[in-house]
Amino acid sequence: MHILRILTFAALLLPGLSLAEVGTALKNDQVRAEPYSDARLTGSITRNDKVEILSRNGAWLNIKTSKTKGWVRLLSVKRGTASTGSSASDVLNMASGRSGTGKVVATTGVRGLNEEDLKSAKFDEAQVKTLEGYTQSPQQSQKFAATRSLKAAKLEYLPAPAQSAGNTSSGSPVPGGAK
Amino acid sequence: MIIRTAPILLAVLLSISSLTALAFDLEGTLKDAIKEKVKTGKEAEPEKKPETKSESEPAFNLRSPSQAEEIQLGRQITGNLLGAAPLVKDAALQKYVNEIGRWVASQSERPDLPWHFGVIESEDINAFAAPGGYVIITKGLYRKLENEAQLAGILGHEISHVVRKHHLRLLQKTQLLNIGAKLLGTKLGKGDDTVQKVIGNGAEILARGLDKDAEYEADRMGVILAARSGYEPFGLPEVLQSISETGNTSRVQLLYKTHPHPDDRLLRLGDAIGDRLDKVQGKTLGERFYKLK
Repeated sequence: MHILRILTFAALLLPGLSLAEVGTALKNDQVRAEPYSDARLTGSITRNDKVEILSRNGAWLNIKTSKTKGWVRLLSVKRGTASTGSSASDVLNMASGRSGTGKVVATTGVRGLNEEDLKSAKFDEAQVKTLEGYTQSPQQSQKFAATRSLKAAKLEYLPAPAQSAGNTSSGSPVPGGAK
Repeated sequence: MIIRTAPILLAVLLSISSLTALAFDLEGTLKDAIKEKVKTGKEAEPEKKPETKSESEPAFNLRSPSQAEEIQLGRQITGNLLGAAPLVKDAALQKYVNEIGRWVASQSERPDLPWHFGVIESEDINAFAAPGGYVIITKGLYRKLENEAQLAGILGHEISHVVRKHHLRLLQKTQLLNIGAKLLGTKLGKGDDTVQKVIGNGAEILARGLDKDAEYEADRMGVILAARSGYEPFGLPEVLQSISETGNTSRVQLLYKTHPHPDDRLLRLGDAIGDRLDKVQGKTLGERFYKLK
């Protein structure tokens, strides 16, 4: 526990260093030996488990927990440990001249965009004209896509998941997994 | 709450239906509006009886606006937003975002809209869509992006709001409720004043949240639109990850007010994706991604 805290602290001080990234399980899920849905199971993760993110392969993350090691679905884990608010980014935020109220408290040129700003906003015709001036035609954008061999693919939209899925704390049930 | 609200709503409903000149969709929109009303528990003022009937047929058809009218609304909203935070003065950046955005929009069901994309001067982390094909992202959000696939995912989410007319429907509901509350028709004339009347104060429509399902839907569509455009499909969830990691600072205050928490969005998206995209391959294009000066 203590070591974890030190590591986290070190990671904050040295954000450029690629220490293994820390993550948190967003839901219960299965861990597999390889990044395939039919690969052998090596264990499971439970929501809020702390995990170490070792690498990524497409839709899969290679992770390590105190109990297991292997591959989980990318979206079953989120990076970082904070569920709400991070003291580190708040400190950075203060340093850039902003309070927690969304108001600029110092003249550092940092500009927010809160509800009041939007409500009292006045129409700016010149700006809209400038915006419209940047418009690209479908042909232009297609050409730009082609320079990197981006090809349009046919793909159906994703159906909405069953209503309960995102609301429960368990997510996908893990057969035999810890609750 | 619901019991107390229901008779009032019924009264409102009856009064509205007696105003023949009102150009609102009394089937879909009203049902939604009432649902919303019951949900929020905010009651319409019932004391005023309809003294004035709207005198003329509205010139602006909010019930089923033409594409031109939809664009007019979006242009006004976007112009107001730009009044609050102007475009970043970097033509190469703006052109780049339009090149990607236009390409992604071409894979949607509304490829014929005159799509416009822009990056605005704000360190807030947010993005906006307005009816008719206007999509704006903040410099603060752009700064969090690492590659083109992520940009495509974010733009895909906003494009989806336009494709599904989410904000347009919100405007329709809002107007209907206003009229329900006042029991008289807002006279809709011609010109920009009318358009501004429809959208309320400034760009406040963008500070109001859509319902959560609209956001989840835009997430699901955004992922697919990016993939249809040839990009790696996980750009959008990666950005959601990154936003979640930012924590709840003032820079995400409005985003958090108007959207479900990124963790919930990731969960929903994960459930929707399942193994469906396992075989989808795409490009990330980190090397072409335009770096802010």
